[in-house]
Amino acid sequence: MASSAAYPDADENLEAIITRIEQKSRKIETLLKQLKPVEALKTALEGSPLKTRDERCKSANWIVVHRAMMAIRDVDAMFNSLDPEYYDILMKYLYRGLSTGDRPTCDQCLKIHEKLTEKAGLGCILRSLADTVNTV
Amino acid sequence: MAATAAVAIHQFAECITCHAWSPDLSMIAFCPNNNEVHIYKFFTDKWEKLHVLSKHDQIVSGIDWSKSSNKIVSVSHDRNSYVWTQERADWVPTLVILKLNRAALCVQWSPKENKFAVGSGAKSVCICYYEQENNWWISKVIRKRHESSVTSLAWHPNNIYIATTSTDGKCRVFSTFIKGVDTRGSQSSTSTDSKFGEQIAQLDLSSTWSFGVKWSPSGKTLAFAGHNSMIYFIDEVETAPAAQNLALRDLPLRDVLFVSERTVIGVGFDCNPMIFVADETGLWSFVRFLDERKATPSTSKASQLSEALGKLYGQSKQGTSSDTVEPSKPRGGAHENCITCIVPLRKGSDGTTKRFSTSGLDGKIVVWDLENDVSIAK
Repeated sequence: MASSAAYPDADENLEAIITRIEQKSRKIETLLKQLKPVEALKTALEGSPLKTRDERCKSANWIVVHRAMMAIRDVDAMFNSLDPEYYDILMKYLYRGLSTGDRPTCDQCLKIHEKLTEKAGLGCILRSLADTVNTV
Repeated sequence: MAATAAVAIHQFAECITCHAWSPDLSMIAFCPNNNEVHIYKFFTDKWEKLHVLSKHDQIVSGIDWSKSSNKIVSVSHDRNSYVWTQERADWVPTLVILKLNRAALCVQWSPKENKFAVGSGAKSVCICYYEQENNWWISKVIRKRHESSVTSLAWHPNNIYIATTSTDGKCRVFSTFIKGVDTRGSQSSTSTDSKFGEQIAQLDLSSTWSFGVKWSPSGKTLAFAGHNSMIYFIDEVETAPAAQNLALRDLPLRDVLFVSERTVIGVGFDCNPMIFVADETGLWSFVRFLDERKATPSTSKASQLSEALGKLYGQSKQGTSSDTVEPSKPRGGAHENCITCIVPLRKGSDGTTKRFSTSGLDGKIVVWDLENDVSIAK
């Protein structure tokens, strides 16, 4: 089971969310310097502000996820150490990435999307499309 | 390896919206995606059409055939319901005015068969019962709570509680106690003390459309499917609901069926029934697909040819008389399109369902037998 674990409360105030994302961002930079891109991606996905409708929070977290995602070089190796609980949330961010229309982002998203669909099945795609409450 | 679980496949129509079996299982009633209900009977080697019930004006969305009183109830997008009773060779309809302003979507007889429930697109559920004095069916409507269409219904074995799923993503349980129809305190505990229309529970689990709610045989566990490829199992619904959410690898389900307390069959967009089993600790998991779809290597060229010839022959014969349908053998997958309906058939001596049938958008009705299946037998 993937969703709803460890997601922040919908009522959490926006400033607190932003502060938390800034902390995540610093942690991710450190992890990337230590050449731990998968750890960085996990950190980016954890505690994503899914319930809030505030686009500022959503964008801030997307920037962090994008940073970590673009640092992934070996997609197969990534899936070897990425636990299934991250699949649903990663899929949502892949679709957000594809919606940007940015060439390198889309290339990377499609590459990961292919492997993720292999791993997590069509059910994962459906959950990302059908969920209108927990959005990224 | 055990024989295949699909024991019979019948192509009845282009598409089937719903189906139901007669009490003795010799006849089947279904809607071929139009305003009619067709009743077929199995004679020695083939199905023959006995009756066409055509009283509805629009697509028939739900049929249920009562086991002890032999009555058929049908509901339709035309917002009406008919209760059909057999008088000699004919089926006589009685109109039940539901007081709806949107389509009726599903129908189910209560376990005691003194009431039936109708789910509708009017964000409401109708509970209908027969009033002896007036010789008339009355519809009482539960209007509150639902924020969208009611997609399916399931009666608790206590004949009072009804569970619903809705396109607002929620699963709800209501009391349907009707004075003069139900008796208070006849069952143990407080379960029958609630008023008509009172909400017992609201399960806010699915963030998208929910479908196919069912109670386990004892009424202890509730299961329903979400259109986000999830299936939900809920224990202790009345007091402190404890839910297990199971994410599917594959496409979403449309309907589920408890074949025992610990085994659930789910059907839907994968065209292949899925088996879910709970272990000793009550933890549910997906086991496998029921329909073995792998190409059988033992099939020789000759048998493939004879099969093809048989198909050709069957089709030409079918062309001469559309009222008889030849039974065909399973070939590849039993269903070729989304399965929308699953109905239990025979029960074993231990109270578990051994046989059930499925129908869907491919117009086939498939009968499945779990006794042929070694892996499910405990």
